[in-house]
Amino acid sequence: MKSWELRTAAVTAFVLLVVIPCLNVFTEPGFAFHVSDFTINLYGKYLCYAILAISVDFLWGYTGLLSLGQALFFSLGGYMMGMYLMRMIGDLGQYHKPIPDFLVFLGWSELPAFWRPFSSFPFAMSMACLIPGLLALVFGYLAFRSRIRGVYFSILTQALTYGACLLFFRNSLLLGGNNGFTDFKFVLGHDLRSPATQRGLFMATALALVLVYTGCRWLSRTKFGLVQRAIRDSENRVLFSGYAAANYKLFAFVVSALIASLGGVLYAPQVGIINPSEMAPEKSLEAVVWVAVGGRGTLIGPVIGAIGVNALKSWATRAYPDMWLLILGTLFVLVTIFLPKGIVGLAAHLRTFLRRRFKPRDGEGDCDTLATPAQEEPLVNPK
Amino acid sequence: MNLKLIILIAAVGLWCSRAGGAELSPRESEIRAKLVEAILAEETAREAMLLGLGETGSQTVREVFSAWPRDRVFLYEDSENRSVPALLGEEEDAEGMVGATLIATGERIKAEDGQPRRFDVTEVAPVDTDGSLRKVLQLGIDLLSLSAVDPDARRSAVLKLGNSQSPDNIPLLRTKLAKEAHPEVRQAIHEALALLQLGSSDPEIQREAVRSLESMKSIGCLEALKKLASNQEADPGVVQAALRAVSIIEAHISWINFVGTIFRGVSLGSILLIVALGLAITFGLMGIINMAHGEMIAVGAYTCYVVQNLFGAGFGFSIILPINWGGNPISFGLQLPGLNASGALYESYFLFAIPLSFLMAALAGILIERAVIQFLYRRPLESLLATWGVSLVMQQCFRMVFGANNVQVNSPSWLLGHFSVDDIIFGYNRIFVVAFAVLIVIGTWLLLTKTPLGLLIRSVMQNRDMAACIGVRTNRVNMLTFALGSGLAGLAGAFLSQIGNVGPSLGQSYIVDSFMTVVVGGVGSIVGTVCSAIGIGTADQILQQVTGSPVTGKIVVLVAIILFLQWKPGGLFAVRNRSLD
Amino acid sequence: MSQRIFILALEGVNKTFEGYKAISDLNFYMDPGELRVVIGPNGAGKSTMLDLITGRTRPDTGRIEFESKTDLTNSSEYQINRMGIGRKFQTPSVYVFHTVFENVLLSLKGARGVFASLVHRTSEQERRRIHEVLATVGLESRAGWKAGALSHGQKQWLEIGMLLAQDPKLLLVDEPAAGMTDEETHKTGELLLSLEGRHSILVIEHDMTFVRQLARKVTVLHQGNVLCEGTVDQVQNDERVKEVYLGRKKRDKQPLSC
Repeated sequence: MKSWELRTAAVTAFVLLVVIPCLNVFTEPGFAFHVSDFTINLYGKYLCYAILAISVDFLWGYTGLLSLGQALFFSLGGYMMGMYLMRMIGDLGQYHKPIPDFLVFLGWSELPAFWRPFSSFPFAMSMACLIPGLLALVFGYLAFRSRIRGVYFSILTQALTYGACLLFFRNSLLLGGNNGFTDFKFVLGHDLRSPATQRGLFMATALALVLVYTGCRWLSRTKFGLVQRAIRDSENRVLFSGYAAANYKLFAFVVSALIASLGGVLYAPQVGIINPSEMAPEKSLEAVVWVAVGGRGTLIGPVIGAIGVNALKSWATRAYPDMWLLILGTLFVLVTIFLPKGIVGLAAHLRTFLRRRFKPRDGEGDCDTLATPAQEEPLVNPK
Repeated sequence: MNLKLIILIAAVGLWCSRAGGAELSPRESEIRAKLVEAILAEETAREAMLLGLGETGSQTVREVFSAWPRDRVFLYEDSENRSVPALLGEEEDAEGMVGATLIATGERIKAEDGQPRRFDVTEVAPVDTDGSLRKVLQLGIDLLSLSAVDPDARRSAVLKLGNSQSPDNIPLLRTKLAKEAHPEVRQAIHEALALLQLGSSDPEIQREAVRSLESMKSIGCLEALKKLASNQEADPGVVQAALRAVSIIEAHISWINFVGTIFRGVSLGSILLIVALGLAITFGLMGIINMAHGEMIAVGAYTCYVVQNLFGAGFGFSIILPINWGGNPISFGLQLPGLNASGALYESYFLFAIPLSFLMAALAGILIERAVIQFLYRRPLESLLATWGVSLVMQQCFRMVFGANNVQVNSPSWLLGHFSVDDIIFGYNRIFVVAFAVLIVIGTWLLLTKTPLGLLIRSVMQNRDMAACIGVRTNRVNMLTFALGSGLAGLAGAFLSQIGNVGPSLGQSYIVDSFMTVVVGGVGSIVGTVCSAIGIGTADQILQQVTGSPVTGKIVVLVAIILFLQWKPGGLFAVRNRSLD
Repeated sequence: MSQRIFILALEGVNKTFEGYKAISDLNFYMDPGELRVVIGPNGAGKSTMLDLITGRTRPDTGRIEFESKTDLTNSSEYQINRMGIGRKFQTPSVYVFHTVFENVLLSLKGARGVFASLVHRTSEQERRRIHEVLATVGLESRAGWKAGALSHGQKQWLEIGMLLAQDPKLLLVDEPAAGMTDEETHKTGELLLSLEGRHSILVIEHDMTFVRQLARKVTVLHQGNVLCEGTVDQVQNDERVKEVYLGRKKRDKQPLSC
């Protein structure tokens, strides 16, 4: 972990947690640096995506497992939160019944049993951990046990999210079918339409992002992190060094599923809707692209990528509604070919370049920028 | 297919001959003369004559027979004061008057001024009818249907009689049976006879009928047999026989469903196979995860659409980009005139579309390979991302050129029919896919194993560096291999355009399935891909039937695949590799 | 069989790859503390033998016993490693993005579980041990380097160092001299000799000069079977060996065309 990255991260955290909310509350709309309620909400969404992107990178950049199913865990978190939010609507729905509208529409007059406990926030949150975690545990166990890796892992996770997507489209699952959940009213007793609630959610998301970032950074610096990256670089060596690589991968997979789920939990109330299209295979691919654009193998890269690409997407869909897919598609192609290390890699490259220019350095460095001839030294120490 | 073609040609020929001559054919004149004779005949002689006419199956006779009981056949005094039978037209004009034709010639009756003469329906004197005549006429109409030229029409007439529950029809069917040559119609007559006999009061006849239905495994008569089996008043022996017949027929039905499911599964598997085969080459042999493979399918399908339009009214599009250049938005477009073909020529468009869709997709593949993939041969996971970007761009291009909605691709009529064996229906389009898939697999296999290009492809795929060392132009081989994989996807698209919608996101629905197919088959193994495509297709169909829902079936298949890979992580035909990775 | 304790014993082992018999009825015994060299022409089954011992592939039939008590045939790679069998691959297999220090740290004897790795703190003792190992393989001054920046020979030594850090009872070393200069090869030989006695070592080698340097008991593999065993001289004078191995050896020495 390089110090400049840490500084960037600290500044970003400060801006997100303090500066932006203050600009929203204490400045007037006319002020040049005013942050509108709309922007707060929009960036709250981006921060959720940033959490999702970190979960992708934790697997891909650090463990070498490209999961194309992270959006599934994200959506599962969103659905658990959504179920709680649906219960909070009470009888304010269109049918004025004490159960969610879509259940009324499907001909239910009473709440199905599995829905009942979701009126409790702690229960919903524990489910948001348990369900994605368990799914990742079972799927990961099966996949890693049979040594599924590389592209096969990617394809299987994509199939998993595809299957789940099909499942959630069904009305008989009693989770809203293709419309999913929407029309949320309250979260923890606060009106979701009020700017203060949205600001609170934004700050909660920013805090979650900072915590996830710090947690992953801590993990990457433990011996676990070393093993994790060793698996990425040479899984055979890890196995022949006595590590059960499958267990490490399983742990990483479950942790990243939980991170993604956390992103989803915060996403649902801010966007106000959660439906099966969130777990469509292309959503996971998009998240992978954020990581690729930002720079994988770093923790700040996914955050930059998620916010950057989504900001670009918002702008492009407004400015050139017919063209944004062209812009996005071309961007992905160019980044993959010309910037394999993403924006962060480009920045690091520039820094190295500049430092080389002005301050010749010694010793340590990247393997690709440094090639010192092997020195002749006695191999066997005289005893 | 051949038979169908001959019928088509015959039909065209028939149509030509009719349009060509206004004169009545000798046979038609003869029939009309007999009709006139019958109408004018004494009542006692009439019946035999009318029934004889019923045997002809003629449309003219049918018109007269159905008009007669409604008092629309009358005797017209012609200019020479002879009474000639005539037929009132059906369309009334503003004053409630109708035209009429002479039955003898089929010509319209004209007034002195040469204009068609109009008659008041209430004023003409119809040829008398009574109960027995009506009965004979009805019988005649049934006979006409039974004598129709088209075997299908004959068959449905027989079925109608069989369901009439009127034992009077038995002798009629018997006589027809003696003359009928078409096996399916004969079968239908047997069935109808047995069905009518079920209603008999003689238990012996009933038993005989049940036995014959049982031996025919008649599905159409299952309900009647069930009714008989639950009839309290029926003879116990008959009931027992009926019960037995019901269980045999039900077993037959489940057999048919089973075979039908397998057949649908195999044909679905063939579609999957065509899609997956291209992927097996780009992914299995080259290690490139081409997420734009689905868009290659779409290229093939849209090629079909364009070719179809070129055979028809022509094809054109124009795009206006939201970017200004020198004050004007950039726009471009294309307008191609069509051949305005029709009939058999128009329907043959598909034959031209098949090779073209291969070529277009292969060209698109070459473009992508040169522009993107050649930089990513050593980074398979990243090829996934870049090609996904390509796929987004291509989808958007489809939207801009062809519109966001699905386009209509018409199937040639020779793909629309079906034939049945032992009550199992085989659609021509499904058979076509299977045959198509077999041809493609054989072709691909020959290309890869028997041609110099195949040898080069295999050598480059096994060891790119070594191949380069011994002088293989790996760049070109890579390009051609990718073009081949893409072209196969295009072929798949050509076929998909015949059985489903063609839209910008056509490929997306097949991409996950086809990747799974390749993984299950064993990456790099064509044989494995074939087996897994057929296997997954069939499993999908069977599970759909068992679980009763396509989505549940699909999910079960996905779960099954994941579990299968527990057992055989390398797929069905794992390509063993001893070297360390 | 005998009452002697073998560090490693392969008995009646067979392995077939898609019709190709890589190992056929192989019997092989090694004493504790022994330095054994296995030679054989290409395709003799040397690497496959190591794969079988380390659990990378499973034999079709036969037993593989470790310390005359544990059957290895049903254990996975990491379990076998934990029993005390270390393996060095033919091509250097180190973590190129980790520092040399971290490479050795990961191989250091100790708990291997996920949760142990989460709470692990590198103790002073471990640090000392790592530097000791690095000193043994002559990489002490490179401790902070990324392993990817090392030369080929240094990577080989680092991998041997990683093996030493595990302190295994049995070391399996696959062609340590491959791609090394003569001088590097010689140093590698000295290193291996210095380990003799403390560890049992099985070396697979092609290079006869190197084999002569180690000058210990040599086993010749041919078509997945032991052709003969003995000292270097015995083996080199064996008619059968000359026929199958040395005859081919000449052809092996032809420069490769690319």
